[in-house]
Amino acid sequence: MESTRVNENFLNELRAIVGAEYVISHPADLLVYEYDGSIDMRLPQAVVLPASTQEVSQVMALAHRYGVPLAGRGSGTGLSGGAIAPPGGMQIAFTRMNRILGVDTVNRTATVEPGVINLDLDLHANKFGLRYAPDPSSQKACSLGGNIAENAGGPHCLAYGATTNHVLGLEVVLEDGAVVNLGNLAREAPGYDLRGVFVGSEGTFGVATKIVVRLLPLPETVKTFLGIFPDIDSACTAVSAIIGYGIVPAALEMIDALSIRAVQNVMDAGYPLDAGAVLLVELEGLKEEVSETSQEVEAALWEAGAAQVRVAEAAQERARLWLGRKNAFGAFGSIAPNYFLVDGVVPRTRLTEVLQRVSEVSQKYGMPIANVFHAGDGNLHPIMLYDGREPGAHEKALAAGGEILRVCVEFGGTLSGEHGIGLEKKEYMPLVYTEADLAAMQRVRDAFAPSGRLNPGKIFPDGQPPHKPPPQRAAPGMVA
Amino acid sequence: MSLSSFLPIQCQGITSLPAGQLPHYAVDGQTPQAAVRPANCQQAASVLQWAAAEKLSVMPWGGGTQMSLGNSPSRYDLALDLRGMNHLLDFQPNDLTCTVEAGMTLAGLQAALAQGGKFLPLEAPLAERATIGGVLAAGASGPLRFAFGLPRDWLIGIGVVSGQGVMTRAGGKVVKNVTGYDLNKLYTGSLGTLGVIVEATFKLSPLPAAFGALLARFDSMGQAVTAGQALCAQVFAPQGLQVIAVGQISGDKSPLTSLYERGEGLTPPLQRGVGGIYAIAFFAGRPSAVKRRLEDSARFLPERGAKDLERLEEAPARDLLHQLTDLGWSSESAPKLGLKISVPPSAVGQVVAMLEKSPLYESAVAGIIADAGFGTVRLLRWGEEIPPWPKGGEKDSLMQAIAALRAQVRALGGAVVVEQCPLEWKSQLDVWDDAPQGLEIMRRLKQKFDPQSILNPGRFLGRL
Repeated sequence: MESTRVNENFLNELRAIVGAEYVISHPADLLVYEYDGSIDMRLPQAVVLPASTQEVSQVMALAHRYGVPLAGRGSGTGLSGGAIAPPGGMQIAFTRMNRILGVDTVNRTATVEPGVINLDLDLHANKFGLRYAPDPSSQKACSLGGNIAENAGGPHCLAYGATTNHVLGLEVVLEDGAVVNLGNLAREAPGYDLRGVFVGSEGTFGVATKIVVRLLPLPETVKTFLGIFPDIDSACTAVSAIIGYGIVPAALEMIDALSIRAVQNVMDAGYPLDAGAVLLVELEGLKEEVSETSQEVEAALWEAGAAQVRVAEAAQERARLWLGRKNAFGAFGSIAPNYFLVDGVVPRTRLTEVLQRVSEVSQKYGMPIANVFHAGDGNLHPIMLYDGREPGAHEKALAAGGEILRVCVEFGGTLSGEHGIGLEKKEYMPLVYTEADLAAMQRVRDAFAPSGRLNPGKIFPDGQPPHKPPPQRAAPGMVA
Repeated sequence: MSLSSFLPIQCQGITSLPAGQLPHYAVDGQTPQAAVRPANCQQAASVLQWAAAEKLSVMPWGGGTQMSLGNSPSRYDLALDLRGMNHLLDFQPNDLTCTVEAGMTLAGLQAALAQGGKFLPLEAPLAERATIGGVLAAGASGPLRFAFGLPRDWLIGIGVVSGQGVMTRAGGKVVKNVTGYDLNKLYTGSLGTLGVIVEATFKLSPLPAAFGALLARFDSMGQAVTAGQALCAQVFAPQGLQVIAVGQISGDKSPLTSLYERGEGLTPPLQRGVGGIYAIAFFAGRPSAVKRRLEDSARFLPERGAKDLERLEEAPARDLLHQLTDLGWSSESAPKLGLKISVPPSAVGQVVAMLEKSPLYESAVAGIIADAGFGTVRLLRWGEEIPPWPKGGEKDSLMQAIAALRAQVRALGGAVVVEQCPLEWKSQLDVWDDAPQGLEIMRRLKQKFDPQSILNPGRFLGRL
């Protein structure tokens, strides 16, 4: 039994704040809160589901009084263990705080509660001719609060930037229950950019209870290309060629042969099984510039050695080209029961060399590694495919992932482009940062949350093994 | 022993600059005891270690283009001039990234990037002098911020020396990165109060092949702002849009007037238009896109009251962009009073209306420059009628007008920063406006990053 300060008195006080039905404390009921989209897990002592800022504030103040460590939880789709409960701790789940509070079409902003689903916001904004640009692969399920915590990315970050470039203001509850507004509706404000540093702080500074995001106008024209390549090298060449033309597409995604096989196993996305890689390129903008850049992109694809180039302009046609990309992660279940996904980033000009090294890691460990990733950003997603029931397979996957992260750093890259450090990569932090660098980060945490009770044990290396041996998983490939 | 002679003994042989140069480093009437120009980040760190040990206050210096920003320093011992660190350390055109030392000028960086067909989509006043470190510390931006955003949107990695002389880095050299906290955001706009920026890595953009501007004269500010905002909401929106006006001219000529009249690179309507009101749209991008945006805008604006449209292309358009960016910061256009008002874009019209009626603008040699799409409004007031100490209550009435403006702007969700004012005012107002929420966190940050409070003490918001 973990030692915990979550006792009956604490639970009763929690119930008094949110109502008994919104405090979960029975072990059987807690099981679904044990994991997120990563491979870590821990049973929380309790989960509380507040409905308002005021309730969140009271809950935080209560936890402060009892010294209970806690983690916020959105939809649990995170890929680095950010929502996993700390030892002896509880989760605040934002499922009930899921209202879109308003869209301001003049300022092009939306105000939302943290439990709002990313895609729901985007679809709502579409009604006003606007969009919410960051689009993580899990956008059908992930919440804005989680996106803030992790500074989530997605394919269209290539042109529009990650979550942080779209957050204007935050209402935040601090560890003692104090409510503060960071940033505001104005695009700039005097003082330190607390909103900026809060985004991506992985729940260690406070919890966001209201979020004001910037919306962008829908583009006049969108055109999507699917380039089919005989091998991954020629696809990488095409990536460099497109950027070399002076084009920054809205999205530039790569899917390798193993991923094509996985996708085609579960649906017909129209990817030829004998292709070495496919490249999805999306162009957006005025019709004049899209028509001009289209010719250059097509030329770049052919020059790099594409066997086939498909083009789609109508929404439905484009959706079909994207289908395989958007469903790739779930499709890996058709190849292996478990997967472990790493999120390293490298300079985009080094992709060919780095992918060669990934393939060497795959051979060394005798473990298939698939690649579906944001090629335009150099944001890799090597996916170790394995069967967790085989003794040692899990450890092998972790070791292979660690080796790939080292390769990323060796090529001038970093550990995570959009998934966060969390539990998963904390011990690798010294590969990219000195002790002094990490101490500076720790100082910021101390300024926001001096008790260290908010999402402890994440981000910073502490010598604790990052992963517990995996329990058996019934359903592989859970990422939405 | 004087500070200047003590310094080389303590700091690895770094010599201080000759005493004759010290007046150059004066800020708000205070002259430092010594000035140093480190050649690299190790030297910068060693100066700061020594300063921390001796509790000497340090003011980081770049091009000195925006030194009027901020409250008066509470102490000022040492000027740390970073212009000796001016190298482009790394430039990967096909990765669209570069790493640069903080002392390089923005114009110098842009020139180097242009050779590789790239650019950093930021403007800042006096780019020939403004350094990268200064642009970041001040969070400076220009008229294209509507499309391209602020320094915070382009900075992906940073090297900083703390108030204890410790060099740290955050972020990296890749365009997408969530490895650890995003300290890039914290340092940007912190006016050097949390650390001295010594190095920066940016993501870049392809150099726009075409550049253009469209000038449209309007009868009223309100009309120009409304039309400009409507234009910014179109698919063919410009990359930036400024509405400018010159107030009542009573004999004296304002720099804005002379900008209109000077004529060099200026378009005839501006030369003619003393006292006029203009919306100026800027366009950057591929030639086909610039052409379409310009043509559609030229059709759109007259339907909303625009008169005397004038198109500028390439060099004249770029010149106008630079003139507007520099306005209020160049020595010939420096105002006696400069305000920067940041509000949600929808409130720009209200702010402009308030300013037009305010004693800050009315009957003064003054100009208003409103970024209608972004929400930044600047009021510049020239002339001699802002006295150090006016007779009667004029100073008081102007200070009251600022207080009243601040209250109104706060209600709109914004803030009024006094960027330039007579020195005497600084003892009576916080130039950054009233502290926002989160001041307590800011205070703790300052205490943790600069425990001796030696970095630009007193100059930041809340006199941090």
